[in-house]
Amino acid sequence: MAGSQDVFDAIVMADERFHGEGYQEGYEEGSSLGIIEGRRYGTLHGAKIGSEIGCYQGFAFAWRCLLHSCATEKDSKKMKALESLIGMIQKFPYDDPTYDKLHEDLDRIRGKFKQLCSLLNVQPDFKISAEGSGLSF
Amino acid sequence: MKDSLVLLARVPAHPDSRCWFLAWNPAGTLLASCGGDRRVRIWGTEGDSWICKSVLSEGHQRTVRKVAWSPCGNYLASASFDATTCIWKKNQDDFECVTTLEGHENEVKSVAWAPSGNLLATCSRDKSVWVWEVDEEDEYECVSVLNSHTQDVKHVVWHPSQELLASASYDDTVKLYREEEDDWVCYATLEGHESTVWSLAFDPSGQRLASCSDDRTVRIWRQYLPNNEQGVACSGSDPSWKCICTLSGFHSRTIYDVAWCQLTGALATACGDDAIRVFEEDPSSDPQQPTFSLTAHLPQAHSQDVNCVAWNPKEQGLLASCSDDGEVAFWKYQRPEGI
Repeated sequence: MAGSQDVFDAIVMADERFHGEGYQEGYEEGSSLGIIEGRRYGTLHGAKIGSEIGCYQGFAFAWRCLLHSCATEKDSKKMKALESLIGMIQKFPYDDPTYDKLHEDLDRIRGKFKQLCSLLNVQPDFKISAEGSGLSF
Repeated sequence: MKDSLVLLARVPAHPDSRCWFLAWNPAGTLLASCGGDRRVRIWGTEGDSWICKSVLSEGHQRTVRKVAWSPCGNYLASASFDATTCIWKKNQDDFECVTTLEGHENEVKSVAWAPSGNLLATCSRDKSVWVWEVDEEDEYECVSVLNSHTQDVKHVVWHPSQELLASASYDDTVKLYREEEDDWVCYATLEGHESTVWSLAFDPSGQRLASCSDDRTVRIWRQYLPNNEQGVACSGSDPSWKCICTLSGFHSRTIYDVAWCQLTGALATACGDDAIRVFEEDPSSDPQQPTFSLTAHLPQAHSQDVNCVAWNPKEQGLLASCSDDGEVAFWKYQRPEGI
């Protein structure tokens, strides 16, 4: 009796069984595709942030050299903002994408950079390009 | 209730354009208006009528959205959609543009002077709030760029006595800033409004802040310091802000401006339903849970959206308003009997 019941089970449950197997296959494929896409997005996004901060850092180092022989009080205010920006950039945790204050710190760096540009009276012109080297002729 | 607000005069301040904002000078003798015609006009009385004493043109390339007088009354700042803020110096009836503050990426929405006269704040659609310092030689320097809001910042206002700044945004929040170790930081975020917060006003004592919103309510907020008597929880040494009163059901459209009279404590609102309303605090209400009553409601105060209401700082009951219809109106408010 038990044997014939199993046979009927196999037929009756076939639909559900194939459904389940199909779902499982799809889920696994979706997960691995998701990881690939996520990694690609993360790399791009991370590179964008890295590039932006790198620009600010280069900018700050260059100006620090230029203002090295600061004499006036105005220059010392500029130096203070410069050092503050450099400090923020150096403290930024580059290897921890799960850092909870990541966007807050990034916004503070951007704000300090804008303030610095205002003090130095320079208009930042570079475009942060996400497509790569951004060379154009 | 109609008699509590009586029309004194109406002037076509910015013809064929919108009048966006008004500001009385500290002495209460002049009213500055600004509009979509890119001009700022200064109004004064001549006998019983209001006349235009100066026109500040050639300052901006686009709409002037807000104007603000310095505490000494000698300077006027104008914030424009052209992304700049002009500082004008008053020389009797003449105004000369002495500096143009640049830096915002797009439309500047508001400008405000700190009570000390040494600091200025601007805010913009670029989501940032800038704090500027001015020295004895009229030189302006940016001391901080604050990126706390996540959307367009509509308004900035300083506390009447402390160096504390508040901002209102399209992101539905109000944020408060103060200086900590040589840098300005956002130390509190007031959440509660369900839509864009358009304007802010501190009460005369500076203990309470009123905010008005697209959600058609006015909210009153109070600051509680750590270890306060009322038992309001604070985190660490930061004060806590709580919404102690919500005025809802009075306005049928967006509330664009709120003004708290520094002489009487009356609260005026400018609404998208073309009406002006005045509220007064019930004298017997609990200061921690105040109640406000509607003491004046004037429908059709203007023929279009009312954009701004401003109480005269010296003359009790004198209220000015302006609208999308380009007009400025002057009103006499008298608190009705028996309320």
